[in-house]
Amino acid sequence: MNVDLPAGTRNYSYAKDMAIFRTRAHWALLLSLLVFVFTAPLYWGNYWLGVANLIGITIVAATGLNILTGYCGQLSIGHAGFIAVGAYTSAVLTNRFEWPFLVGLIAAGLVAGLIGLVFGIPSMRVKGFYLAISTIAAQFIIIWVINHWTGVTGGFTGIRVPPASIGGITFVSQASQFYLIMAITALTVFFAKNLARTRVGRAFVAIRDNDLAAEVMGINLFRYKFMAFFVGCFLAGIAGSLLAHWTGFMNAENFTFMDSILYIGMIIIGGSGTAVGPIFGVISIRMLQQGVMFISPMLEGSFLDLPAGFTTGIGPMVFGLVIVLFLILEPRGLAHRWALFRTSYRLWPFSY
Amino acid sequence: MDELLQFAITGVTVGMVYSLIALGFVLIWKSSGVANLALGQLVLLSSWFTYGMLVQAGLPLWLGFPLVILFSLALGWMIERFILRPLIAQPILSLITVTLGVAYFIEGAVSFIWPKSVAALPRIFPQEVVRIGTAVVSQEYLWAAAISLVLFILLSLYFKYNKMGVVMRATADDQLAIQACGIPVTKIFSRSWMLACMLAAIGGILMSSIGGITFGLAETGLKAFSVVILGGLDSFLGAILAGPIIGLAESLGGGYLTPLTWPGIREVIPFIIIIIVMFVKPYGLFGEPRIERI
Repeated sequence: MNVDLPAGTRNYSYAKDMAIFRTRAHWALLLSLLVFVFTAPLYWGNYWLGVANLIGITIVAATGLNILTGYCGQLSIGHAGFIAVGAYTSAVLTNRFEWPFLVGLIAAGLVAGLIGLVFGIPSMRVKGFYLAISTIAAQFIIIWVINHWTGVTGGFTGIRVPPASIGGITFVSQASQFYLIMAITALTVFFAKNLARTRVGRAFVAIRDNDLAAEVMGINLFRYKFMAFFVGCFLAGIAGSLLAHWTGFMNAENFTFMDSILYIGMIIIGGSGTAVGPIFGVISIRMLQQGVMFISPMLEGSFLDLPAGFTTGIGPMVFGLVIVLFLILEPRGLAHRWALFRTSYRLWPFSY
Repeated sequence: MDELLQFAITGVTVGMVYSLIALGFVLIWKSSGVANLALGQLVLLSSWFTYGMLVQAGLPLWLGFPLVILFSLALGWMIERFILRPLIAQPILSLITVTLGVAYFIEGAVSFIWPKSVAALPRIFPQEVVRIGTAVVSQEYLWAAAISLVLFILLSLYFKYNKMGVVMRATADDQLAIQACGIPVTKIFSRSWMLACMLAAIGGILMSSIGGITFGLAETGLKAFSVVILGGLDSFLGAILAGPIIGLAESLGGGYLTPLTWPGIREVIPFIIIIIVMFVKPYGLFGEPRIERI
C-alpha cells in the first residue's frame, strides 16, 4: 500500500509513479510556495530578507552536507572549512583578478570540490570515526592556510568582496540578492531531490547502509564515495561563494569548527538523508538563533544579576541541547514528523 | 643545539599530557565503541572549574583538587547516564554526533559561566627553573611529565590487578561474553566515562598550569585525537607512546619550521600528522586493522 498518495489516487504508468509532483494539489502547492517566496521582497522588511538570504545560503551548504553525510554516510566535521574554501576562491577571483561573478561562483564550487576530494581520499580505506577525524583536520588546516596566506587571502584582516553581478545587473540590495540566492537554493534543492532518486543516489544510500553489501552488489565504492565528496563540497563551495558576495567581507572567523558542528546539527534536526531535512533543519536553527538574539538582550535588561557571558553562552548551550535531544528523542528529525503528518493528513478521515 | 634539547624536553613533557587525555578517549572507545569528540571541551570545562574552585571560591589546594576530581567523575557519570545510555545500539554516526552536541553545549556553558577568555591558575608548582644540560625548563613541565607517568603506572596496575579494571579490559575484548558472565555492561560504560573525564580534568589542570586557561584548551583535546590516530584507536600502549611523539613533532616543528613557513604552524602540525597517518597507515602504529570478512 502506498500511503504517499492521497486516498483514491492511482498511478497507471511508471513515469507517473516516479513523478515528484503527482496531483494537481501538489502543483498548486508548489506554485504557491514559489510565488510566495519570490514575491517575499514586496512585503518583507530588509532585516527579514537578510535572515532569509542567510537561510537560503545555509540550505545550499546543508544540502551538500546532507548528500555527503545523510545519503552517503561519510561524516564530515569540516564542512565550514570547505565553505571557507569556496568563499575565498570566489572572493580572491572577483576581488584580485576581477573575474566575473559567475566564473567565481563556479570556480568556488570546483575548487571546494577538489579540496574535498583530497581530504576524502582517506575514506577509501577508513570509515566512521577515522574519517570524521580527518575532516576535522581538514577544517583546521584550511583555516590555518587562509589565516596565513596573507598575500592572497588577506589573512586575519580579511578581504573585501565586490557584490555579485551577472550581465549588467549588480546584486547590491538585500531584495536583489534574495532573488539570486533563492534561485540558486531552489535549483540546489531540486538537484538534491533528484540526485537521491537516480542510480547515483541509490548507490549512496546503499553505501551508507552497508558498504560491504554495496560493493558485493557491484557498486564501485571508490567512485561513488569520491562523487559524494565532490558533490557535497561543491555545494559547500557554492554556498561559500554566495556567502562571500552577500556579506561583502570575509575573514576566517566566519568558518569555525563550531560552525561545522552546527551544520551537522542542522541536518540531524531536519532529518538526515531526506530532501526536505536540510530545509527544516536550517530554518529551525537559524530561527532559533534569531530567537536567542531577540530574547537575550530582553532577559539581560530585566534580570540584572545575569552572568556577563549570558548572551554569548546561551546560543551554543541551546543548540548543543537541541542536537542532543533530537538525537535521543527523534533521531529521524523533523522530516520524519513531517512525513507522519502528511500521511495522516492524506488518509484522513480514514484510518488504516 | 641548545634549542634542540629545550624543544625536545618541552615537547615530550607536553606530549605526555596529551597521552593522558588520549587515554580517556581510548578507554571509552574500547569499552563502548563511542568516539568522544567532546574531549577538548571536557578539558576546557574542567580547567575552568579548577579556576572557579581555586581562584573564585578561594579554596585551598588540598580541598580544591579533590573537588575538581569529584566534579569530573560526576560529569562523566551524567554524560554516560543521560546522553549515551539512551543511544546504546544506535548507528555510529549518531554516537559521534551526540558527543559533538555535548561539545557545543559545554563550550556554551563555559562562556556562559566564565565569560573571561583568559585566566591563570594560582602557581601550583615551585617557581625555580631547572637546568638540564643546556636547556632551561620551568618546573611545570617536569611536574606534568612526572604526574602523567605516575598516572600511567597507576592505570596499568588498575587494569592488571583491580577487578573492575580487568572487567573493563574484558569488555573491550568481547562485550557479549561479558554480558553472558552476568556483568552489567552499562556499569562498565559508566566507569569508563568517569575515568575518561577524570583524565581529561587532570590533563586540563596540567595544561593550564603550563599555559594558562584559554579557549585554546579545547584544541588541546583535538590534538589528543592526533595521538589516538597515530597510536591506534584501540591501543593503550599506542596512546602512551604516540603522545610524546606528537608533542615532540609539535615542539620541534614549531621551533624549526616557523621561519620557513607561516607562523602558527605549531598549531596545525598535529592535524597534518593526522592526514599523513590517514594516508599511510590509517589504523595507526599499534591499532588493530579492521578486517572485514563476508
